[in-house]
Amino acid sequence: MEKEKMDQIIAKFPETKGNLIAMLHEMQNEFRYLPEEELRYLSKMTDVPMTQIYSIANFYNRFTLTPTGEHELSVCLGTACHVKGGQNVLNRCKSDLKVDKEETTEDLKFTLKVVRCIGACSLAPAVMIDDQTYSEVDPDIVSELVQSYQAEQD
Amino acid sequence: MTQPDIIVKICAGLGGVMSGSTKVIDAFNQVIEARKVNAQVKTKVHKVGCLGLCARDVLVDVFMNGDKHTYQHVKPEMVDEIVEQHFIGGQPVEEWLVDEDYENFHKFQDKIILNDCGRIDPESIDASIEIGGYEAAKKAMDMDPQMVINEVKKSGLRGRGGAGFPAGYKWEHCRHADGEIKYVLCNADEGDPGAFMDRAILEGNPHAVIEGMIIGAYAIGASQGYVYIRAEYPLAVDRLRLALDHSRQRGFLGRNIFGKDFDFDIHVFLGAGAFVCGEATALMTSIEDKAGEPRPKYVHTTDKGLWGKPTNLNNVETWANVPSIITRGSDWYASYGTEESKGTKLFSLAGKINNTGLIEIPMGMPLRKIIYDIGGGIPGGKQFKAVQTGGPSGGCIPAKLANLPVDYEHLDEAGSIIGSGGMIVMDEDTCMVDMAKYFISFCLDEGCGQCTPCREGLHVMMRILTDITEGRGKEEHIQQLEDLSDIIIDSSLCGLGKSAPNPVISTLRYFKDEYLAHIRDKHCPAGVCRQLVPVSCQKACPAGIDVPSYVALIAHGKHEDAIRVIRQDNPFPWVCGLVCPAPCEGQCQRGTVDKPISIRRLKGFAGKYTIEKMGSYKNAIETRRNEKIAIIGSGPAGLTAAYYLAIKGYQITVFEALPEAGGMLRVGISPYRLPKNVIDHEIENISSLGVEIKTNTPLGPDLMIQDLLDQGYKAVFLGIGAHRPLKLGIKGEMAKGVMQGVTYLKDLNLGNPVPDSKKVVVIGGGNVAVDVARTALRKCSGDVTILYRRTKKEMPAYDEEIEAALEEGVNITYLAAPEEILVKNKKVVGLRCVKMALSDPDASKRRRPVRISGSEFEIEADLVLPATGQTPELNALKEIKNLEITKLGTFKVNPMTMQTNVECVFAGGDAVSGPTTVIEAIASGKKAAKYMDAFVRGVEMPEEPPAPLKRTHVPRLEVSEEKMEQLERPEVPMLPIEKRKTTFKQVELGFAEKVACDEAKRCLRCDLS
Repeated sequence: MEKEKMDQIIAKFPETKGNLIAMLHEMQNEFRYLPEEELRYLSKMTDVPMTQIYSIANFYNRFTLTPTGEHELSVCLGTACHVKGGQNVLNRCKSDLKVDKEETTEDLKFTLKVVRCIGACSLAPAVMIDDQTYSEVDPDIVSELVQSYQAEQD
Repeated sequence: MTQPDIIVKICAGLGGVMSGSTKVIDAFNQVIEARKVNAQVKTKVHKVGCLGLCARDVLVDVFMNGDKHTYQHVKPEMVDEIVEQHFIGGQPVEEWLVDEDYENFHKFQDKIILNDCGRIDPESIDASIEIGGYEAAKKAMDMDPQMVINEVKKSGLRGRGGAGFPAGYKWEHCRHADGEIKYVLCNADEGDPGAFMDRAILEGNPHAVIEGMIIGAYAIGASQGYVYIRAEYPLAVDRLRLALDHSRQRGFLGRNIFGKDFDFDIHVFLGAGAFVCGEATALMTSIEDKAGEPRPKYVHTTDKGLWGKPTNLNNVETWANVPSIITRGSDWYASYGTEESKGTKLFSLAGKINNTGLIEIPMGMPLRKIIYDIGGGIPGGKQFKAVQTGGPSGGCIPAKLANLPVDYEHLDEAGSIIGSGGMIVMDEDTCMVDMAKYFISFCLDEGCGQCTPCREGLHVMMRILTDITEGRGKEEHIQQLEDLSDIIIDSSLCGLGKSAPNPVISTLRYFKDEYLAHIRDKHCPAGVCRQLVPVSCQKACPAGIDVPSYVALIAHGKHEDAIRVIRQDNPFPWVCGLVCPAPCEGQCQRGTVDKPISIRRLKGFAGKYTIEKMGSYKNAIETRRNEKIAIIGSGPAGLTAAYYLAIKGYQITVFEALPEAGGMLRVGISPYRLPKNVIDHEIENISSLGVEIKTNTPLGPDLMIQDLLDQGYKAVFLGIGAHRPLKLGIKGEMAKGVMQGVTYLKDLNLGNPVPDSKKVVVIGGGNVAVDVARTALRKCSGDVTILYRRTKKEMPAYDEEIEAALEEGVNITYLAAPEEILVKNKKVVGLRCVKMALSDPDASKRRRPVRISGSEFEIEADLVLPATGQTPELNALKEIKNLEITKLGTFKVNPMTMQTNVECVFAGGDAVSGPTTVIEAIASGKKAAKYMDAFVRGVEMPEEPPAPLKRTHVPRLEVSEEKMEQLERPEVPMLPIEKRKTTFKQVELGFAEKVACDEAKRCLRCDLS
């Protein structure tokens, strides 16, 4: 249990009311998922029942209860990206990373996600790797991107 | 601070950043520093929000000496030259400037909100204040709150988030609601796929939104505000947070704002990826530390909203409109737009359109103007098909409504909504059923799961739409979709469910034909639904037979169903199963693994099986018609046309010159390949439809086309084949013992006597030549030699036939051409030949045979059978004076329709193409039938050639991977070689049922993947 980190996160917010989701955002960014033990600690410290925390963690796409990869590769399948071939990009990502969507590679480097519109419609199809957005991609470009991120790590 | 002489504004909206604007900004700063531009003229480079036309990013505006120039697609490496030539030299770099199109994009817009977006640095509050930021807030606070509300009411401003509720009335309601604590919220959870207006505002001019909220809070009497913003917009979040900090520092937020007794602050709430949180009550639930599930709206949120307190929620764009309304007055604002829809609206143009980007236009602009004048039309010269507005809650507007004014009322009438302002343009390559499915799947994913109609109803709709797009659609599905839509709209809890079926309703309203094409024809006209798009084998077939489906049916043991599928495109399955060159097998994907599926023999098997078991195929006439149509020639082209026209109900008479029906099937192919009973069976299946075949009835003085028309035939099909042999053009051709190969075959097939011989020489390399040789081998006592002027590689005959001929003992002499037929006592005794060599490939990549001088040699022969090609017999058609004939002596037709220049006369088969395959003839006869039907009924002739159609949907038969690998393409049993040489019995014996089923299981089912 990362008590210290949890205390830091909780201390950022003067009150819990209206800030629970923000705390979970912090945890998700810190741990790349919402670990059970830490959630229990949060529940204890904030007096919010675990049931409520779990219902939030399950409801929102942003939160995961299993570890996610170092990099989050999000393929946009918003309408504009869909019309312009986003599905082909997703298919390439699946075959390159050998995972299905919402899954994490064995080496915990990538989590493949599908997002519905990141507002980059004018330069569709788009993908996001972490906070970086890449526009007008095609399957080959995405393969290269993935390789460049993989190479960076090695 | 003096104004710099040169101002450079670089787009740093998401479009700009994604295209690399950060590097461009750095490059400008570096180059200006390095070239000491600042020492000569003061230059300021700064980033601005979205300049609109994201498709041209990185966009750079340069202001210099009162002139503005805009560069497009700027890259860091271009900066040097821009600074050198433009900043220092005073000459803009013309080739990199935007074109007229860019001017048009902006010319037709009216920018209230976006005006400042591309002008000011969004990260600087000073930049905002410089252009009048926060003056409206100050002005409002000198007014009575009710006056502020009245002003907003008078302006006619309606909520820009989708519902279009008048903002001033909402404020007023909230102001008068009971409660000390009130909230104003800003909805920046722009989740509609295809919409990015709010993102652009927050990234380009966040202070406008903050100022609008301050004014709203003052008018309503709220002290707390929230911006609920998507975490997917990190840049917007950063800029908003920065702007809020700056605003607090300047005292525009906090206590006693502008010295008044008014406290107000704004919190940022980061959404966590849930589309439903764009719904008002769900958004509030989400801020309250819960899963974002909507609540029933018995009580307005303006009475009981966030934490049970009166809450006023507007979206980003609505708030951003408020400052200008206060500053410039409601009358000014209301001068934009239409009677009911005031002001301007932001739209994000995306999808299949040239100028993708962000636009702001007065309400009521016709759609056409948006698409063509601002959007620059559709890329690649494609057809504009429809535009989807309002995202998953909206609907599509088809191209035929392009003149529709875009405002709340007209879009509602057309079955769509403005929504938040996403406009996705679709062209001919977009499948509307697929689009509807996409939106339903979106709402299904994003629904909260609370209420049954939405959760379960959308699920069923999704299943039906999947069935339709994957070839399992049924006619009743359309009614089911309509019923489900009604129920879901009536009984869902929140706006998500109530509007989720809209895309289905509107595509059904405007594109029902496209649904029906998926359901009835198993055809996706846009070519999107992969399982309804023909796969390579089907595309390779000239007649477009649905190969994967009939192969799969054979694998399932449903051989008669397989025949039904085949006969929708080819009435001669058994014949083709024996003689087709099977181009499908050349394209079979299994061939890239090991060997292609034995498609031809599977077809032959299914035909044989069905005839032997059932006695005949099943035919069904669709309707009855009284019109008569005449078919000249009973070959595969003529009989195919007859078959498809008979099914359509026409009264068909086929006129055949020879004593037996079948054309070249009957007289041009030897019975050891195509036994007579096979031809008889398949012709019988056609004549059983009531098709009358008159044999021994050639065209000529007794049968003129004009006579037929006089007798009331509405159309005539000329399928007279190519029966007139081409002459060799050498000496001795008229001697006894020289007989045209096709004549030899014809005589033999019709039971006429043919000469015996000790030494046969066949001339030619096509299928007829090989057939003649193999026939002569069986018929004559002596040996048979084929003389061909090129090599085996160039022989047009099928490899299988050549191999069989060689196996049976036919000799082939390559690279030799006859120069004279040697005659003694008027009888053939031999040939004088010359050796040939192949030239280097010429322009057409063909290697021509060239005579080798001095290489002449003689060979012995007592029977010479030339088979070097045929051409149609046109003599009898001289009566139609103006009928167009090609240089090759064939009929000239419109290749789309097979219609000749004489309106009621169509033609097909070898008579049009010259000698070719049976399947080509069938394809042309089928095509002609389709257009003759249209011609006779007087309906417009379609311009497109018919696409190969998926005829049915056959589920995958589970075959273990192991078995899939074990199975091999089977050899077909053949008649023993010694029997072949002396009899005309069928050589290829065909597959047994088990072998056929196993072979069909090898199919990879590319059509399903």
